[in-house]
Amino acid sequence: MSESADTPIKMVMAYIRPDKLGDVKQALASAGAPSLTVTNVSGRGSQPAKKGQWRGEEYTVDLHQKVKIECVVADIPAEDVVEAIQDGAQTGEPGDGKIFVLPVDSASQIRTGAEGPDAV
Amino acid sequence: MSTLLQVDPTTVANGINNVWVLVVTFLIFFMQPGFALLESGQVRAKNVGNVLMKNMTDWILGTLVYFVIGAAVVGIVGSLTSGGDIAGAFGHIADSNAWIGWLFGAVFAMTAATIVSGAVAERMNFDAYVLFTVLMVAIIYPVVVGFTWGGGLLSSSGFIGGALGAGYLDFAGATVVHMCGGVAGLVAAKMVGARKGRYDSNGNSQAIPGHSMLLAVLGTFILAFGWYGFNVGTQATILAVADDGTLTFMGSALGRVALVTTLGMSAGGAMAMLTSARYQGKPDPLWTANGILAGLVAVTGAVPHVTWWGGALLGGLGGFLVLPAFHFTVDRLKVDDVCGVFAVHGVAGAVGTALIPIFAVGGFALNQFVLQIVGVGVIALWTIVASAVALAAIDAVVGLRVTEEEETEGLDEGEHGVAVYPEFVPNETRDSTVATDGGELRTDGGCSLGNAVDSSGSSGSGGERR
Repeated sequence: MSESADTPIKMVMAYIRPDKLGDVKQALASAGAPSLTVTNVSGRGSQPAKKGQWRGEEYTVDLHQKVKIECVVADIPAEDVVEAIQDGAQTGEPGDGKIFVLPVDSASQIRTGAEGPDAV
Repeated sequence: MSTLLQVDPTTVANGINNVWVLVVTFLIFFMQPGFALLESGQVRAKNVGNVLMKNMTDWILGTLVYFVIGAAVVGIVGSLTSGGDIAGAFGHIADSNAWIGWLFGAVFAMTAATIVSGAVAERMNFDAYVLFTVLMVAIIYPVVVGFTWGGGLLSSSGFIGGALGAGYLDFAGATVVHMCGGVAGLVAAKMVGARKGRYDSNGNSQAIPGHSMLLAVLGTFILAFGWYGFNVGTQATILAVADDGTLTFMGSALGRVALVTTLGMSAGGAMAMLTSARYQGKPDPLWTANGILAGLVAVTGAVPHVTWWGGALLGGLGGFLVLPAFHFTVDRLKVDDVCGVFAVHGVAGAVGTALIPIFAVGGFALNQFVLQIVGVGVIALWTIVASAVALAAIDAVVGLRVTEEEETEGLDEGEHGVAVYPEFVPNETRDSTVATDGGELRTDGGCSLGNAVDSSGSSGSGGERR
């Protein structure tokens, strides 16, 4: 076991505006945590519902298109990653999104079979 | 002498004219993918396969039925309503010289049939639709053609046309093809009933957005392209032979139908764009696409008969009316016409054809104007009555509508067992004894009792599924 085995592994999971993805990627790279997974998602939070239109007939869109970011870190403090995402994604308007930090029980790298923080 | 080759000018003219007719026939056939895209885009993803099946059925069954029955009904109705002889009605089947003309007629018939599918999308039983297509192509549409182009009731030799001393003007079928399809679609949409969720408990309409504006607009452009065959190609004579054997190129007539077709579609699109911007605040792509088609429909009967500015006005009127006509259909008549076929094909066809004498190149003639209005009324009335009777009969035999469960699940799965946009598919052959969902893999989505118990053991989902 390497000494880094005790370093906690954290997953930072964030929901951001799709048009802020570029800024967030850049901020993460600057913070030293460039690896991430991105998913298109829909969700509802503090952002008010908006109106859609089909043939002039309105309908309510209360699930907004967002981008979900998953960023697993061990060497870099999760707080730095949260701060980077916050810097990159903030506009000040409702709908900027949320950031969550979760503990990760274990990690394995599929290519090498490395375990723990080395795999991250 | 300018004659270099000794040829019969009639043969030259016939050859060129017939090849021209075949080329435009193929162009009109290309309207079918246009309709398929236009309608697919306006429905939800779960019903796209059903819309595509209906469009293919219109063509494949339509051509078979129109060859054996429909084309003969045209001749029979034409003769019966003008005092003629019906003996030769089925003559085209054995006469190879009649087949180019038959095919040219057939592509118009299939255009009328395919319009209906846009109105009844997302809830009509496929068997019922197949039966209606057969009746549409065998009887409903051919009777309209018999009344008009077939030399019957409304033509100058028919009982009504003869009485008024004029022949009904509908050059390429604004009413004969499009209004017939649009009105049949309205009747069918009414009788099938609105889609689940289209109206709330107070009867107010609720939007059901289609899944792809892109497909709808691309379909519109393809339709407009094919429409050049529809309108310009109906000017089937491009070389005319005079009695003294001289050949004349019909450039002026061709130019008028080509120009009026173009101005009509553009004016229709422009007016729909302006109308949607006025009433909805922003110019709407789907309304603009509908306006292009309504403009085309409005001038389809008029192209050789009206001035260029008259054609632009007629097309613009068709495009202007499409939005209010759709809201009238949905909000007043409470008919869930999914693709707005009554507004686009029905209303624009009726108005554009009735007003031809107002903009006529040769000046206004009252008897012609009366005949146009009577003709539109006769065609609409026949289509309403015949469609209603046909649909009532089909309803009694197979039922018009799918079950509520199937409508919720989508007609692609329910009627055809397919997914047009599948999410995850296997990329290689797997060991078929291990089913990834814990049960036996079956193409019908079901689960056999014995296997479910065997593969899941005493615990897990197998017991629940049983």
